[in-house]
Amino acid sequence: MESRVDRVPVMNSRRRVLAALRREPVDRTPVCNPTSVATVELMDLVDAPFPEANRVPELMARLAATGYTELGFDSIMPVFTIIQESSALGCKIQWEQKDNWPTVKMREPIWHNVEDIRIPSDLLTHQDTRCVTEAIRILRQEFGDEVAIIGKTMGPWSLGYHCFGVEPFLLMSLDDPGKTKACLDRMKEVTIQFGLAQIEAGADALTLPDHATGDLVSGEYYARYLRDLHIEFAERLPVPLILHICGKTVDRMEYIAQTGMAAFHYDSKNDPTESMRIVHNRISLVGNINNPETLFSKGPEQVRREVYKNLDAGVQLVGPECAIPLQTTIENLKEIPKAVRDWHREKQ
Amino acid sequence: MAAISDIGNEFIRQEIEEYIERPEERARTIATFAKARPEMQIIAAALIDGDNETVDRLTREALAAGIEALEVMDYGLIAGMGIVGIKFRQNFIFVPEVLACARAMKAGMAHIEPILSASGIDPLGKVIMGTVKGDLHDIGKNLCIMMLRGAGFEVIDLGVDTAPDRFIEAVEEHRAPLMGMSALLTTTMPNMGKTIEAFIDADLRDEIKIMVGGAPVTQEFADDMGADGYGKDALACVELAKSLLGVRAR
Repeated sequence: MESRVDRVPVMNSRRRVLAALRREPVDRTPVCNPTSVATVELMDLVDAPFPEANRVPELMARLAATGYTELGFDSIMPVFTIIQESSALGCKIQWEQKDNWPTVKMREPIWHNVEDIRIPSDLLTHQDTRCVTEAIRILRQEFGDEVAIIGKTMGPWSLGYHCFGVEPFLLMSLDDPGKTKACLDRMKEVTIQFGLAQIEAGADALTLPDHATGDLVSGEYYARYLRDLHIEFAERLPVPLILHICGKTVDRMEYIAQTGMAAFHYDSKNDPTESMRIVHNRISLVGNINNPETLFSKGPEQVRREVYKNLDAGVQLVGPECAIPLQTTIENLKEIPKAVRDWHREKQ
Repeated sequence: MAAISDIGNEFIRQEIEEYIERPEERARTIATFAKARPEMQIIAAALIDGDNETVDRLTREALAAGIEALEVMDYGLIAGMGIVGIKFRQNFIFVPEVLACARAMKAGMAHIEPILSASGIDPLGKVIMGTVKGDLHDIGKNLCIMMLRGAGFEVIDLGVDTAPDRFIEAVEEHRAPLMGMSALLTTTMPNMGKTIEAFIDADLRDEIKIMVGGAPVTQEFADDMGADGYGKDALACVELAKSLLGVRAR
């Protein structure tokens, strides 16, 4: 562990994040949330409220930048939701208000069969995908090489939930594995196209949420349906990829570690030490401070304890386990980089 | 006391041997299946296998042969779903498999329900279920509903994005003594508390037991918001429902 942080010259945030994603030495562990750090408090601070901050590039960039400028994280993530490309694909969205996330209306599926899957010609020019690429361009122009800008492109398993509905998609995976694989194979082009567009716009890395969580499907399912696709993404998207899967995932971390992705953003339901042992330096881990019970409900002292637990385990990038609750206090979020710096000071 | 050798169906015996570890659950399951006639054990086995077409056919055949609808439900469908719930809780199976079993249960119940309804046999209890306002996620709530129905409860499903007034209307309309609320998002979790407050404001809180659950919800949240109970998974929801209503399996 100490060799990872010893005698490394001071880095800026971008170099720190990219080095940690490559499992190279860093001057200190970077603080990163590859999902979302948007909160109501931050929206008010920069006058960039939901839902508009998910649809207007300038507002999206302004709110995203607060992760770096106000919280002191080492990365900026402008994609606060998981709905942008699903909206472009034709899913109905409930946009909600400032205090809630927009959500896909999954009970109104747009596809039922392989043949239904069509990638619209305006996938990358639709308001909700273009908003992301424009926001990345704005952020790159504003921050240059100072901070890591991370984009987000949804994996085909998550797109399956959105476009087919959760239950029909999961039932199809059991009833007709061949059809399911054919669907995933078609949907993966959405992941690739949107990912490449964000890279072209200036993203340093991409989060790839693909919610094959242990709360829904087995580890064997991950191996059967997704491991090869995730290997393909790692080969075709030429930036570090951060896989994000919520919930229990220790039973599939062995497979995830085989994908060639740079990092895995993992949930607090998984023990940091056990997770590090399983992935065994084949993939970086990012996480895993608990959202509902710690960041949302407790104070800085409990946040600090969880940061230390991850650092003691050797986790390469520390941050919240998932998109943080919108009502989380800035005080709790600022405690994460503070605790990271204190931990390193204590170790010197 | 019944022994596992009292169960004729080999598949059911294997399921119990392999998947049911808790002594009290094992004893209860063995006792149920030891009393079940072979036809019921075959229905239960098909349900555990997620084979809806076989459950559909065997249920029709059992009823045509004169077996009581209540017996088919209790010793075929509900008994089978009991094993499914335990396997799910213990991570031997996951949501796709449970969905297939619930589909099989539904195929059987399609023949049973009209008969029970016509003969005035009451369900184990009546439960209103819904995902709270602002939240469109329903897989957790739906799993609870499948398990509740699988245990013999009548469930009125309000769907997603359910406003407090809608819960109140449903409780009054159906005269239900129990309701369950689900939330997946931390942003919508507080709406559980708001719904409970709405029942207090409507002077109906004493007439309804309220249970809550969902990925971000904990016992502590449930206590803070004044719920009567918290279930951490679908099987816990069934046990909680039985406990809050003071009912036991038939």
